[in-house]
Amino acid sequence: MAERMPPSVRRWCLAAAMACLVPLLLQIRGELALGLLALAAFGIAVPRTWPAALRLLMVVLVIGYVVASHSFSIGRDTGSALLAAMLVLKIFETRDLRDARSLLGFSMFAPFAAFLQDQGPLTMALAFPAVGLLLLALSVLAEHRPGAQAPAFNRRRAGLAAAAIGMSLPLALAGFWLFPRLGSPMWGMPENAVGRSGLSDQMTPDEWVEMFADDTPALRVRFLDGEPTRRDLYWRAQVLWDFDGRTWSRGAVRVSGRPPAVQPRSPVLRYEVSMEPTDRRYLPVLDTPMGPPVDSEIGSDLTVRPARPVSSVIRYEARAALRADVGDELPAFEERAALSLPAGLNPRTRALAEQWRAEAAGDDEAVVRRALAWIGEEFSYSLTVPPSGRDAVDDFLFETRVGFCQHFSSAFANLMRGAGIPTRVVIGYAGGYRNPYGGYWVVRSMDAHAWNEVWLEGRGWVRVDPTAAVAPSRVLDTVDDLARAGSLLPDTLTPLRDFGDWMRRGWNDFVLGFNASRQASLLRPLGIDQASAGQLGLAFAVGAGLALAITLWVLMRGQPTPRHPVEAAWREWLRRLRRAGIDKAVHEPPLSFGARLAALLPAQAAQVAGLSRRYADWRYAPGGSTPAEEAQLARDLRDFRPHAPGPGAPP
Amino acid sequence: MAARALDLVERLSERLARLPLVRPRAAEPLPVLIDRRRVYILPTGFGLFLSAMLATMLVGGLNYNNNPALLLAFVVMAVAHNSLVHAHLTLSGIRLIALHAEPVHAGRPIRLRFTFDAAGQRRRPGLELRAGDEEAFFDLMPGERTEVVLPLPTARRGWLPLDRVRLCTVRPFGLARAWSWLRPDTRLLVYPAPETKAVPLPDLGGDGQATRARSHGEQPHQLRDYRSGDTLRQVAWKSSARMDRLLVREYEATARSEIELDWHALDPLPHEARISRLTRWVLEAERQDRRFSLRLPGTRLGPASGPEHRHACLRALALMPHG
Repeated sequence: MAERMPPSVRRWCLAAAMACLVPLLLQIRGELALGLLALAAFGIAVPRTWPAALRLLMVVLVIGYVVASHSFSIGRDTGSALLAAMLVLKIFETRDLRDARSLLGFSMFAPFAAFLQDQGPLTMALAFPAVGLLLLALSVLAEHRPGAQAPAFNRRRAGLAAAAIGMSLPLALAGFWLFPRLGSPMWGMPENAVGRSGLSDQMTPDEWVEMFADDTPALRVRFLDGEPTRRDLYWRAQVLWDFDGRTWSRGAVRVSGRPPAVQPRSPVLRYEVSMEPTDRRYLPVLDTPMGPPVDSEIGSDLTVRPARPVSSVIRYEARAALRADVGDELPAFEERAALSLPAGLNPRTRALAEQWRAEAAGDDEAVVRRALAWIGEEFSYSLTVPPSGRDAVDDFLFETRVGFCQHFSSAFANLMRGAGIPTRVVIGYAGGYRNPYGGYWVVRSMDAHAWNEVWLEGRGWVRVDPTAAVAPSRVLDTVDDLARAGSLLPDTLTPLRDFGDWMRRGWNDFVLGFNASRQASLLRPLGIDQASAGQLGLAFAVGAGLALAITLWVLMRGQPTPRHPVEAAWREWLRRLRRAGIDKAVHEPPLSFGARLAALLPAQAAQVAGLSRRYADWRYAPGGSTPAEEAQLARDLRDFRPHAPGPGAPP
Repeated sequence: MAARALDLVERLSERLARLPLVRPRAAEPLPVLIDRRRVYILPTGFGLFLSAMLATMLVGGLNYNNNPALLLAFVVMAVAHNSLVHAHLTLSGIRLIALHAEPVHAGRPIRLRFTFDAAGQRRRPGLELRAGDEEAFFDLMPGERTEVVLPLPTARRGWLPLDRVRLCTVRPFGLARAWSWLRPDTRLLVYPAPETKAVPLPDLGGDGQATRARSHGEQPHQLRDYRSGDTLRQVAWKSSARMDRLLVREYEATARSEIELDWHALDPLPHEARISRLTRWVLEAERQDRRFSLRLPGTRLGPASGPEHRHACLRALALMPHG
């Protein structure tokens, strides 16, 4: 049983396993992926039996390192890394055919795990050829006979795997579209131990610089009726209330309360978002949202919380009014939260705020205007910010006076709260980039933004963007500069990038966005608006049945082996003679048929006798004819035309 | 060839084969056509393992509505399903045309020679023939006849109990095994095992040992007419040409040693020992080119010589009732 594999079989199995591993490795932290790759290369290059103790030691070390590098928390990413590590370790104990089979079986799980992390076209483009290679390796294994020569790789085998995948498509697609989907999952997606990019529910000034360098799309938005201008786009994700001197966080106020009354002051816009996964529970919505999208709830701070963390690309449709009055009265606990400041910090800010409050004499709007005017006169925008001390807001307002949106919104909130105006910090995205292909907007990670909302008596929550108050001449460097510096593509390739993103959006829509509700509307052309589970089951049965019928038909046709050209020409010759009324009996050998034919066609007697003799020579004396003779014979057979049908040709 | 051990599913199918419903229900005459009703398919052990992986992927994909994972799972499932059909089509349509084997002595492997062909244009690679613990592999190409040799160990004299031969394939991916049972009613003979210890032939029923000294190849004793069964070497060609009829030299030794191998003369020996001694004697007598007769309870074969006589004697010995 424990028969060692011939090297060629081993090579195939390992190649397939590695191909399956690659999409998973791309989802793993860089240094770990490189380490595993090196380990795998070593295991492949040195095909020997390692002592069990050494293998055990290796398993303990590698798994220990993987878990430790994810700081001992178990999440989806830890699981992926563990799976990759196990696959690599399995290479070291792949010796006989049985090991090879289990290696291949487990390898199939690697693309699956990769898909749990990332569903982009790259992963898919890597995963499907890998599965093809896996089938190839399986066919090599199935063909391998103990003791015999190792099965060779040839075009036919590659064709076999390709044909197997091609032939599986009807059935696979029927399953994909029609197999009943789950409306709501049975269990939740394990979250990653190390978060992905996305807005966290905290904000510490200085921490976003990394995000500003990231131009990957966060949202893709299509407006269904009319497009707003860029400066009106504020995508609201989280609202932060609590400040501890350094970090803003959601705090205790929540949110589950009744959402405030929203009175639109401009036409309500409908739009459709396809959102990249964040593993967090927020949906960015355009300010001011007019109600939550499906399967999510809107809180009293007008942020939208989906039922589950967004772990894969999702689509939602929502409505917004670009200008609206929000809230008619401020609940007491919200007011308390929107006025509280950490005790004993930032004394100069507090003093200035109290001074302004006294001077404004109850006119909150005047305080806001004054603050914005100050920012416009004396502050600069830059992503390179000197470090701040204990009183970060004092340092920013009175010493450095340079920063980006986080500094501005944090300092502005401190100032307003000090002046007795309820203020909160909103984080989300601002603006977006309109892709000329497909006419949709891309909101990228680097569009992340923080702004404020102040409560003005009689107007409700009003959006104030202190960063926007910075004078354009004082903008020292921008997010775009940073992105350009970090980008690999020169600006001239922007159309190419736009086109790529447009393709990606199509992918998201047609492949990733397919779910139970879209499946339910699949039968709409048949007049069924929302298909029930039973109707879908029936559709699946019919679709799978049809797919099976197609597959069976293709399989049953068999693979006709091409006839030798001489044989084909001979058969055509016989057909032509049959049309002329001369039929060759089944039992009649070519030579006697030729003799009979010569009698029936006296004008061409020599020709037909010659042809049938040459055919007989070719057919019954194998190897007796040169290729040139064969080609000549085939040509002559094809060129022959019977002149006159024999008189009353006997059968 | 070291046979592969059967996996779980194969052992199950071996067990199921004893059920009365499994085709063929009785031994059948050749040629045997394998049609779709007698092709059975079950996943291999690896196929089961992979199905478990696929089920996990399917449930996971459905739960997270992970479309690429679902697509992947469905593609592999469809490939697995199609490989079932493929394996089935590989088997159905094959014909077992002939089965024969040279008789061997019990204890030696008998080489079963199966001849297969198949109708249609389908290539049928990766076929495996298995009887008991022995297996042989072959490919069947369209329009070709293929002979497969399967050496089978023998233990007992008499008709070989060829219970069931399995023709199977795991192509294309080793996920499923399609098989069909063959129960040809061809009877294959196993001669008795000869006694290993050399025992001298019972010459001349006990008298005239003195003349034993002369042997084959010495002075001709006399000429006699040709009888069927005489070897060509015995023919006296010159004399035959002179007399215009075939004459055969009768050597002194040959003439004298027309021996009788008598079952009853071995009375003190046990039943099977007698058979194996007689077998040994038949072989010995044939090797020495001597005419002999074999007396068994109820029959007498010979006197004669030559391969046909030897076969008749060995056959009679092989088919003696088991004592």
